[in-house]
Amino acid sequence: MQRKTSVIIEILRYGTIFLVLGFFVFPIFWMVLTSFKPEGAIMVSPPQFFFTPTLENYAHALFDKNFLFYIKNTLIISVISTAIVVAFGSLAAYSFARYNVGDGHILFFILSTKMMPAIAVILPYFLIFRDVGKTAIGKSLHLGLDQHGALIVSYVMFNLPFAIWLLVSFFLDIPRSLEHSARLDGLSRIQVLRKVTFPLAAPGIAVTAVFTLIFCWNEFLFAYILTRKMASTVTVGVESFFTLQGILWGPVAAAATISVAPMLIFVLVMQRYMVRGLTFGAVRG
Amino acid sequence: MARITANRLVKRYGAFQAVHGIDFDIADGEFVAILGPSGCGKSSTMRMIAGLESVSAGQILFDGVAVNDVRARDRNVAMSFENYALYAPITVYENIAFPLRSAGKDATEIDRAVRTVAEKMELTTLLGLKPGALSSGQAQRVGLARALVRKPAVFLLDEPISHLDTRQRYRMRRFIKSIHQEFGHTMIYVTHDQEEALALADRVMVMSDGMIQQMATPQEVYSRPANAFVAGFVGEPPINFLDYSDGNDSGLTIEGNRVALTDGLKARIRTVGPRGLAAIRPHFLRLGSASPIRLQGRGFITEELQDHNEIFVDVGGARVALVTPPGQKVARGEEVTLSVDPENLLLFPADVRVKEHSDEL
Repeated sequence: MQRKTSVIIEILRYGTIFLVLGFFVFPIFWMVLTSFKPEGAIMVSPPQFFFTPTLENYAHALFDKNFLFYIKNTLIISVISTAIVVAFGSLAAYSFARYNVGDGHILFFILSTKMMPAIAVILPYFLIFRDVGKTAIGKSLHLGLDQHGALIVSYVMFNLPFAIWLLVSFFLDIPRSLEHSARLDGLSRIQVLRKVTFPLAAPGIAVTAVFTLIFCWNEFLFAYILTRKMASTVTVGVESFFTLQGILWGPVAAAATISVAPMLIFVLVMQRYMVRGLTFGAVRG
Repeated sequence: MARITANRLVKRYGAFQAVHGIDFDIADGEFVAILGPSGCGKSSTMRMIAGLESVSAGQILFDGVAVNDVRARDRNVAMSFENYALYAPITVYENIAFPLRSAGKDATEIDRAVRTVAEKMELTTLLGLKPGALSSGQAQRVGLARALVRKPAVFLLDEPISHLDTRQRYRMRRFIKSIHQEFGHTMIYVTHDQEEALALADRVMVMSDGMIQQMATPQEVYSRPANAFVAGFVGEPPINFLDYSDGNDSGLTIEGNRVALTDGLKARIRTVGPRGLAAIRPHFLRLGSASPIRLQGRGFITEELQDHNEIFVDVGGARVALVTPPGQKVARGEEVTLSVDPENLLLFPADVRVKEHSDEL
């Protein structure tokens, strides 16, 4: 009797896991599957699971639509934005965590900038970048419309508050006594940061980098409004597959598969650091 | 080794003043415990000695030389911390070697020093482990080893054993004492636990509200507290505070008991005044009338702790604790006489705060 119930529970458990996983993974599976389907096999009913795979969708996306160009733009914009967010975010968060700069008020102000919906600021951003792009500094930093700098600045503005908030809690978790001890052991304050504090905060920094990069990679509204052609990102690029003749589902699936791949690899790499964070905890209480 | 002196030492955090111009002089090789409740300024004082916090005003001198502007790493001060402050990603060996590596010592020298100190601290078998795998007692021994390995001039300990369980605390206490006896460092030990302070230190510096209340040997702090705060903070079970009145050359009245005074107490009455606080340690009170100062009371509760008994007696409106040898008991409501020697009756000016504090206990 006992054994029978436990078998039923096991079946239920794995059944649930399978259902939940299916719910999340199936769309990705279907996207990848569709990207290899010949045009005639995509919109048929019932859906086909077996067909002769073809690379023509990839050829269309990569060569006819030049999708690698969008990937390159997205990489440049996302990576630079993330690097800036992590660099400034961790230094700012450290000073908030250790020196209580602004007594909590500045920290709250920073978070409050995040409460503005993106749609509310997009028009001012458009006007600002249009005008800044005409100045000498704006030109040298590529801050004009349809230029990489404009999107990088927007993404940094949008991600920095969140990154700081996330990182402050990670820095607060690192006991001050570790830094005190390192200072007595002969390290300068800068060395303490480099050799003790930042390595211990690495999991937090990794998490922040992942969140920021994924945000930048997925962002559509700013990219759509602030770019036309030269600085367009993958999300905007995919939109160009929605043509007057109809939606090119095969190439869209191929393009989407290509754009997901770098994120997937990045998250898998960073996962090591994030998991390491669990065993990395500074001291036992 | 170093002698440490403070001159009018002040620490301010913004508008808040944590340390109010204190003076002290700690001899070379002395073991001093800084004792006080949380927020009394003891940790700020220690961190100023370490150089981890700046001095707001006044001076700290090592061997007569002001070190206010000397950086922490150049003071040759070692410190062990309440939460051990071990680097989790590296082994015990590397943790102990850390200060020597940052000092740029060569590998064979580091190895010899680490192994010597590890043996002294009974850590030899643990050198390959990471801090996460250690018990709290072991982790604190690693913390002490890391502090000792660089042969510091001053050894600071910030509540090093308050995280440990009772048994480990007893063990570590002896460990720390033996370190001091063996190496002879100047040691400064911050704690809120009066028992640790009395057990370990050559001299105890009792702090409260950013000021030194008394700095003296444990014996003196216990028997001759400088004020009611020290009397109340040091000693377990806590000292009995009783109001007295009508104090003059003929005697004083404690809760309805008229008590005759010795010359010493008469002089004390003249400084304290006709009304104030009478304080008597539970260990100095006796059942019966063997000593000259006697109080009448009624039994309340007897706790039989086997190695000694704690008896609580109502004297007038106050409750008085006394510690007796095992076997002595007082029944509830039983009329008893308590007595104490005149040198163990302490008189202080009435202090509302102290009284409230003792009522909580």
